[in-house]
Amino acid sequence: MGSSHHLLVFLMFLHYAVGFTYNCVKILPDSSSSIVVEVGKNFTATCHLLEGCAYTSDDIEWRLGNLSIAKQSYHRINETAVSVTINISSDMSDWLKCTAPKESLSYKPRSIYGIFLRAGYPPLKPKNLSCIAVQEDKDISPNLNCSWDPGSRNPLIDTTYTVYANVPGTVLTHKADCKQHLARFCVVNLETFPIHMVLKVWVEVKNALGSERSELQSDSSYFAKPNPPLNVQVLTEDKFPTSLVVTWKHPIDRTILKLSYAIRYRKVTSNVWIEVPESFTRGYIESFRLQSLEPYTQYVVQMRCIGESNSSYWSNWSPSVTERTTEAKPASAPDLWRIIRPTSNSRNVTLIWKAPVKANGKIRFYNLSINQNNEKFESHNITADNLSQMYSMELPAGKMASIEITAYNSAGESPKATLSIPRSDKELPGVKDMSWSVRDEKLQVKWTAVLPLPHPLKLSEYLLEWVKIPQSVHQKELPAGWQRVPKNVTVTTLNAGLEKFKRYNISVYPIYKYQPGHVWHFQPGRPVTRPAYVQQGPPKEGPTVTVTKSKKNSAELTWEETPLDSHQGFIIHYTIFYAIGNTKQWKSETVGPNVHSYVLTDLASETDYVVYVMASTEAGSVKGTDCTFKTMKYGDGEVEVIVVVVCLSFLFLTVFIIMICLRKREVIKKLLWPQVPDPSDSSIAHWSPDFPIKADLPKEDVSVVEVDVFDGKSLCEEDKGVLPLKKDKYLSEEHSSGIGGSSCMSSPRHSVSDSDEGDSGQTTSSTVQYSTVLGSGYKGQTPSHQPPAFARSESTQPLLDCEEHPDHLNESQSRSSYFRRGRELEPGVLAPECDGGSLTFCPVQEEEPSPVAEEPPASALCYMPQKSGYRPQ
Amino acid sequence: MNCHVGNMVCLSQRSQAKFRMILAILILIAVELVHPTVSCKNETCSQLLRHSLRLTRLMSKRTTELLETYKTSQDFADLICDMQMDNVPVSTVSGQTISQRILSVYTHLKEFLPHMKTVMEQQKDLNPPTNPVAEGLNRMITHVRHIAVRVNCILEILQPNIPIPEPAESPTGIPHAQNIFQQKAYGCIVLTRLQELLSQAVQEQKSLKKGKMCRKSTKNGS
Repeated sequence: MGSSHHLLVFLMFLHYAVGFTYNCVKILPDSSSSIVVEVGKNFTATCHLLEGCAYTSDDIEWRLGNLSIAKQSYHRINETAVSVTINISSDMSDWLKCTAPKESLSYKPRSIYGIFLRAGYPPLKPKNLSCIAVQEDKDISPNLNCSWDPGSRNPLIDTTYTVYANVPGTVLTHKADCKQHLARFCVVNLETFPIHMVLKVWVEVKNALGSERSELQSDSSYFAKPNPPLNVQVLTEDKFPTSLVVTWKHPIDRTILKLSYAIRYRKVTSNVWIEVPESFTRGYIESFRLQSLEPYTQYVVQMRCIGESNSSYWSNWSPSVTERTTEAKPASAPDLWRIIRPTSNSRNVTLIWKAPVKANGKIRFYNLSINQNNEKFESHNITADNLSQMYSMELPAGKMASIEITAYNSAGESPKATLSIPRSDKELPGVKDMSWSVRDEKLQVKWTAVLPLPHPLKLSEYLLEWVKIPQSVHQKELPAGWQRVPKNVTVTTLNAGLEKFKRYNISVYPIYKYQPGHVWHFQPGRPVTRPAYVQQGPPKEGPTVTVTKSKKNSAELTWEETPLDSHQGFIIHYTIFYAIGNTKQWKSETVGPNVHSYVLTDLASETDYVVYVMASTEAGSVKGTDCTFKTMKYGDGEVEVIVVVVCLSFLFLTVFIIMICLRKREVIKKLLWPQVPDPSDSSIAHWSPDFPIKADLPKEDVSVVEVDVFDGKSLCEEDKGVLPLKKDKYLSEEHSSGIGGSSCMSSPRHSVSDSDEGDSGQTTSSTVQYSTVLGSGYKGQTPSHQPPAFARSESTQPLLDCEEHPDHLNESQSRSSYFRRGRELEPGVLAPECDGGSLTFCPVQEEEPSPVAEEPPASALCYMPQKSGYRPQ
Repeated sequence: MNCHVGNMVCLSQRSQAKFRMILAILILIAVELVHPTVSCKNETCSQLLRHSLRLTRLMSKRTTELLETYKTSQDFADLICDMQMDNVPVSTVSGQTISQRILSVYTHLKEFLPHMKTVMEQQKDLNPPTNPVAEGLNRMITHVRHIAVRVNCILEILQPNIPIPEPAESPTGIPHAQNIFQQKAYGCIVLTRLQELLSQAVQEQKSLKKGKMCRKSTKNGS
């Protein structure tokens, strides 16, 4: 395609050059197509001036593409020929032109001639030629697949690869043209594969710059690739637990290709193949016994074949066949261990064990034998079950135990495993120190070796135990494991599949051995235990904080440690965050991992706070739930101080007032209880020396009023309706007599109600002027010594019956204390303070408590008749 | 390349010289290809004999199978296959010496090739296009040729100084105007006699193997 295109272009150019210009130059060598030139070589072309050409050789100019070639490359041969030599490079595929330019103002036409150069490389010899004819059905395929390495150099020009195949001695040669550029493979159809003949195959690579060839000649079987062995089977034999028999069928008839076989096998659990030496399977066989295998082990077997004496290609491996060898009796003892948990007065011993490493079959059951203090204690057959490979017993602290266990499979019993548990006070020493670290997501444990012990104790090995904590109550499997390491090792990596974020207690035990009899006894020393995590994470949950005490400026916080299972790592510290209400201005305090309470100080009083506690591991932190609290308004004792101060103040005030009262009691008394003249001491009582006191009492102008204390019973029945009225008059300030301007009547406590006032207005005529006689019972003042006082009244009010009938008055006086006291006084004797001639009332010196104040019911009784007395009015 | 216009004659002379050289090489290659003895040098005597015997044994077996297939497909009785037919080569190996007998095998193998081709063509016409007999015959022809090459090499070893006569692959002489039955009978007879020939060829080569042919030739310096 490329060459035809260039040819067309070239012809067009020639047509143009020849048809429209007079051309008198020509280049040799010349070609109707492109001229292939080898990269790196020199190429010489000569430009000839034809006869009749008006140019000379000096006029000739060479151009490659559009670029002029330097004159130094020119070689003037004669007057009509100039050659040019150029070194070919890979990018020089272009026109090489020879021109004789038209002179200016000349009639001579311009002459030009060109040849197309195509740069390229000669082909490289194909390397590593190989041809394969695979097996098809029962014969070898006639299609021969050949491949080779064409080399990395691009020839730049059209290059063909052809594969030939021929059976020497025959005239027929098969051929296949490989169409790909820089072909690497090709298929030759031989029509019939030449069985048992010599086959010659060669690949020929050609281009314009040369050809190369690679050849193979060999027996035709060399090119054949058989199928893998057919029907490969692996058989077991009951009596031979260490062997398997492999059988197969020949994939191809021996008359075509006689084969030898190769067998390889591996354990299912391994990736390493073991190949049976070829010398063992060299013959034309169809079965083979694999020996020295492990009992009760699954093996994978594969086969392949090759022509006899390696006269063909290897076949592919056959599909894998898996078979298990039969059982043999266990070759090693079970791995016995114990976990001891001290109880109050004994020890809880859990015996745990693993199946023998070389179980050589499926373990059916274990025989466990326990001796205590060298006496047979108990023996059990325990069915082999992953869930029940443990046995618990109680062992008193003062007893030692010796445990033996044997495993059984269908073929027999294992060697015996023994373990001694000493008395609690007879423990052997442990390792000095132990530490752990994490490497490649596994725990690496390091410890210090134990010192040698006196004979007969010898260090046998170390045992590393790991126990997951906390242990779930419902966990059926014991969350523990152990690993034994040789006695000369002090650092090892735990091969356990420890869970991330779970805490394990890692213990290192030295295991000692001694031989009291024929059997070695093994006894662990004291363990050294450390908690560990194979990977730590942030805690699952944060602690819940509670406020136990809230004060004015402080609050005591308490939080409980979250469950160990949720720690997911070692708690390195707790951080307490607190803020006022919704301000989000968090303050924090950090405390150690063992602190579970804290007192926040410098808080504002009577303020709402939000607080939470964040637990942190090295892998992260998690906050607990928020808690809100409010600080108190008062601090401790403040209220008590205030109460005490107030009380004391009140007390002092009271005492002060009392003192004042005591000191100024006279003044107070005068203020509170102004002295009321005692009517009995009134001069009125001794007044009117012209007529007898008893017979000539003024009936019209003076009315006698019983004041204050009345004994209701002392009054006559007919006075009951009248006395209240009199009393009203006496109590009424307004209706008190203006005589003497009685200030004692000013107390509002003794004023009568308005209605009473009205009533009294009705009962006492305003027109009647009268003089009121005031009793000493006012305000509790009981005039004891004052005689009844009489006052002249200008009232026109008719006098009461008692007044009208002195008899009655006398009778009443005999009952009334007032009158009784009055009667005791001698008529005409006045109080010493009072002037005999004065008509004003004098205050009575009161020395006794007021009977009114002490006996209020008496006063009440006095009012009752008054009420009834109003009604008839 | 370095000739110039003035030396055009020089260029043409050099081209002719090259052509003659190439022609000579081509003739040499053709002769080499045609001459079967060239291949014999690639293998030792024992390898040659072993391969030849295996191939002949294989072809004997294959011919037996092909004959069974042929009889089954053509519904033929064994009697027909044993009929006398003059134009078909005989399977009898003749000769007094081992070399003569091997030469007889070689000659017969060459004689059978055109008959096998004819039977194959007839089978293609009779049961196109997937005729197992035709396909088997096609492969058989190739293998018989290969056996002939091997036997030729054996002959070279057995009698290195005597030229091996090459029987021409001449026409079978069987008239084209055969009816179908005649064609089927002809095919069966050819295959039967070929099978007999190959069986005898196996025996002859076995006798060669037993006769320590290769040891003798080794001693002779072959």
